[in-house]
Amino acid sequence: MSPRFFFNTLIRESRGARGRLAFFVACLSVGVAAVVAVAGMSASLDEGVRTEARQLLAADLAIEGRRPVPPGLDFAKAGLGGAQRTDLKEMVTVVLARTSQVVELRVVNGEYPFYGELELQPQRPLSELLGPESVVVGSELLSNLGLRQGDTLRVGGAPFRIAGVVLSEPDRVSISFTIGPRVFMSSEGLARTQLEGKGSRVGHRTLIKLPASFSAERLPQAKERLESALDSTWYQVETYKEAQPALRNSIDRVDRFLGLVALLSLFVGGIGVAQSVRAWLSSRLDAIAVLKCLGMRPHEIFLLYLGQTALLGLAGSLVGIVLGSAVQLALPSLFPDLIPAELVRPWQPTALLRGLALGVGVAVLFSLPSLATVLRVPPARVLRRDAEPLPSHRWVTAATLIVLGTGIWVMATAQSRSLDLGSRFTAGMVLVTALLAGAALLISWMVRRLPRESLPGRIWMRHGLAALARPGSGTVSAIVALGLGVLVVLGMSLVERRLSSQLATAIPPDAPSAFLIDIQPAQWPGVHDILLKQGASRVDSVPVIMARVSAIDGRTVEQLAAEAEARRRKREEEERDGGEEQEGDRQGARRWALTREQRLTYLKELPADNRLVEGKLWSDPARAEVSVEQEFADDLGLHLGSTIRFDVQGVPLELTVTSLRTVDWQTFGINFFLVVEPGVLEKAPQLRLAATRLPRGSEQGVQDALAAAYPNVTMIRVREVLEKIAGVLERIGVGIRFLGGFTVLAGIAILGGAVSAGSARRGREVALLKTLGMTRPGVAGAFAVEYALIGLVAGLIGAAGATVLAYMVVTRGFELPWELQAWPVAAALGGAVALAVGAGLAASARALERRPIEVLRAE
Amino acid sequence: MDQITVPRIDIHRLTRRLPSGGRELTILDQVDLAISPGEFVAVLGPSGSGKSTLLALMAGLDRPTSGEIRIDGEPIQNLSEDGLALLRRRKIGFVFQSFQLLGNLTARENVLLPMELLGLADAPARANELLDAVGLQDRGHHYPSQLSGGEQQRVALARAFAPRPAILLADEPTGNLDGATGRKILEILTGLWRREGTTLVLVTHDPAVAALADRRIHLLDGRIEREETAAKLQPAEVLS
Repeated sequence: MSPRFFFNTLIRESRGARGRLAFFVACLSVGVAAVVAVAGMSASLDEGVRTEARQLLAADLAIEGRRPVPPGLDFAKAGLGGAQRTDLKEMVTVVLARTSQVVELRVVNGEYPFYGELELQPQRPLSELLGPESVVVGSELLSNLGLRQGDTLRVGGAPFRIAGVVLSEPDRVSISFTIGPRVFMSSEGLARTQLEGKGSRVGHRTLIKLPASFSAERLPQAKERLESALDSTWYQVETYKEAQPALRNSIDRVDRFLGLVALLSLFVGGIGVAQSVRAWLSSRLDAIAVLKCLGMRPHEIFLLYLGQTALLGLAGSLVGIVLGSAVQLALPSLFPDLIPAELVRPWQPTALLRGLALGVGVAVLFSLPSLATVLRVPPARVLRRDAEPLPSHRWVTAATLIVLGTGIWVMATAQSRSLDLGSRFTAGMVLVTALLAGAALLISWMVRRLPRESLPGRIWMRHGLAALARPGSGTVSAIVALGLGVLVVLGMSLVERRLSSQLATAIPPDAPSAFLIDIQPAQWPGVHDILLKQGASRVDSVPVIMARVSAIDGRTVEQLAAEAEARRRKREEEERDGGEEQEGDRQGARRWALTREQRLTYLKELPADNRLVEGKLWSDPARAEVSVEQEFADDLGLHLGSTIRFDVQGVPLELTVTSLRTVDWQTFGINFFLVVEPGVLEKAPQLRLAATRLPRGSEQGVQDALAAAYPNVTMIRVREVLEKIAGVLERIGVGIRFLGGFTVLAGIAILGGAVSAGSARRGREVALLKTLGMTRPGVAGAFAVEYALIGLVAGLIGAAGATVLAYMVVTRGFELPWELQAWPVAAALGGAVALAVGAGLAASARALERRPIEVLRAE
Repeated sequence: MDQITVPRIDIHRLTRRLPSGGRELTILDQVDLAISPGEFVAVLGPSGSGKSTLLALMAGLDRPTSGEIRIDGEPIQNLSEDGLALLRRRKIGFVFQSFQLLGNLTARENVLLPMELLGLADAPARANELLDAVGLQDRGHHYPSQLSGGEQQRVALARAFAPRPAILLADEPTGNLDGATGRKILEILTGLWRREGTTLVLVTHDPAVAALADRRIHLLDGRIEREETAAKLQPAEVLS
């Protein structure tokens, strides 16, 4: 068979089936669109983050510090002669006008930003607007407090004039989590406030702009030199090239996860493809027999149809690519909070290629089992039309399934870029599909064995049941497809609901509703008074002593941190090849735990939500003791008997671990990783932390009163923070449900396709039933029963699967107690039935409309 | 050199049984038959006598339960599916009662297809010539659904003769046509047979059609009941 003949025949063969194959294209394109949308969106965000990197960092280099960057840091010595520097201080505090508001304060000392645009109103440089007595604030602060430009605002106890409004900041991306509106202040301004007391939480950031002559290739070198000039325990250097590593990491993770969700909808589309290929081939059996008669060899015919399928796969994928790109363009306007439009770059060739490759791959793979029929069409069919395809060899079936499974595994692994995740996904998918198919077969088998004649109900009820048991009715694939759709959508929605409900209701009724931080000990009686006057109950307050770990069991924290960092890097390299990253994360957590500023408290007795698991509290009169929370102890490598040397603001202090405990963090009570025995820290410089329960609606009043009297005290409202977290979860949930929607869409398309694929037979069935005297509503009723059963079975199994999936994610992934949610499950069941009946009846409409004689005459 | 003529089709003790409702049904029972190159043989018999099965076995569309079929001296019953396909491609043409044209190909493309499979260089010219011979020179671009039954069967005839097969098997070629059209088809068929020197095996239950053949084989219950080599008639005489 010459290639030219092959292609000629390929084109000719596709002529008759074009209309029917529209369904093939529809199924595939939905899945490809989902894949392209996800891949494109994440690639586009990643590219956006990288190309806007300088703007996102607002500098070439940035030093992040837990201490101020030494003012005398010699840039020339680090090979950065001619570099400019701007120091930023960042903190969360409360501002007060008529009412108060928590804000993110940024104190700017120098030129800002070096790159990108800080859009201000009036349009003047920030340094001109900021003076010792003026601030520039985010526009939402004005609307929240009912202020206007020129009004006065109290920050940290001092009055400031609002000299300008921030419209947009280069280094504040809309997807990141923020606690409150921005306030810019000068360092002269900060000096007028009471915000820089001992122990306040201040973040330090130094931005560096390199001279224009400095080439970008030398950046990593510059970073290394800076790092060696600084103590890596307290400082971290970041270049614009590695801008927003956290953001890019989360884009990568979301991409892997959503990529698999999208792949699932492509696979569901693949089921539709398989179904349409089967229907198409069953209409081509005569032609295949004729081709065999004319001397075409079975494998040549197989290749012919495989080529057809690949071509159609290409067409479907191209349509999908267009759809996916359109989705990508539309998403930022559909979900403005979800995706920052300024970062979207819709033209992502690799994403489009990925969609194309996966689309054609799925089309070919999923068609294989149906295409194998070609080999088994008996050529004698030209003489006896009733000669059906021979049953397939067991090994051909097995080989086809192995190829299919391997293909799914390869695609899932490629899509998730993780062997482990890809394997788990494949195993789960195979299991669920097997369960769905098994259940479908079981139902069909049961219906066949049901004594239908003795069933109560009308004839259409019995007929609908009978239809379900009919061999080759496409019931199995419809149930599998719809079931998978239900599983994804309901599963994700259950997880998200559980998390939201946890956030909303898991706060015990007696949990504090507000925390007060940074209270000076002398201020506490006054603060306490304000709280009581406003009706606060359960006021709880503990001393907080800021300290740093300087050594553990005789080894300095620098040594330990360097070891943890080396291990982290090693793990990360291994993981880059291999996949998972928990271990690298753990080492990162260890380094963080080692070097961060620790908060200590002293207590005679542990709060009720603490439980001792090892050792005994305050049991060794000879030594100063500390009780450590168990997971924190694991992070630091502490055990009973370990000694920790602390640096308490210049004073060394050695403590011995004599007990380990667990904490039930969900009580929201005040809790510490490190609790010291009484009598050790009383004299150390300290702040107080308070928790209280405020009557609903009184929070603003308390915050206003505190801001007026004690401007350095910040009040964090638990409910507000939880609402913000819930908001972030909601955004992620929207994304997943949006993609899950593609799966459902594919499921519906498949159901509709299954029905219309059998439309010839269906038409004949309707005609016969009508000829026998059944009314059109009667026939429609019978069909509705059939589809409702399909929807019900798919819904039941899908819902069961979704519940198991959600259970695993909630209890294992988030370690939350499980709660069954009845109504989303019921809604999913109802939805599946309604969708199935709707799609089925819509697809049968033509068959129902035709007059019986038209159909019977055509026989 | 004295040539011993090898039969084009040589059938020896050919038996075909089919399972049917738990027992075996014998469709063909120990049939012996030899057909010479260029011969025109008609196979007659009532429904269920095994005519079509005999034809299917000769073409390698079906496999015998026992016995032997040789085409040009080569046994075919043990050939693979591929081997049988190649045999059909090179040696056997078909005409069916229900035409069996490929609906998504034009008349001309249907005629071209078997020649393209063989990679014949003169395929386009030969397709034109054959369409001309069956009187459809102007209708080559039509699809089967745009042609009448008689016209479709004429395309099928052109397709069957196109690759110059050594053997042409025809299964009730006039069965679905009215009298006058059937007559015309037979005229074209026998005309082409004579012109191309093909071996023609024609299955029919119509004695009048069979009367055109060199030899008539009567099948009954899967056995050859009798053979006749009566004088041939011309199609015009038979069907007038």
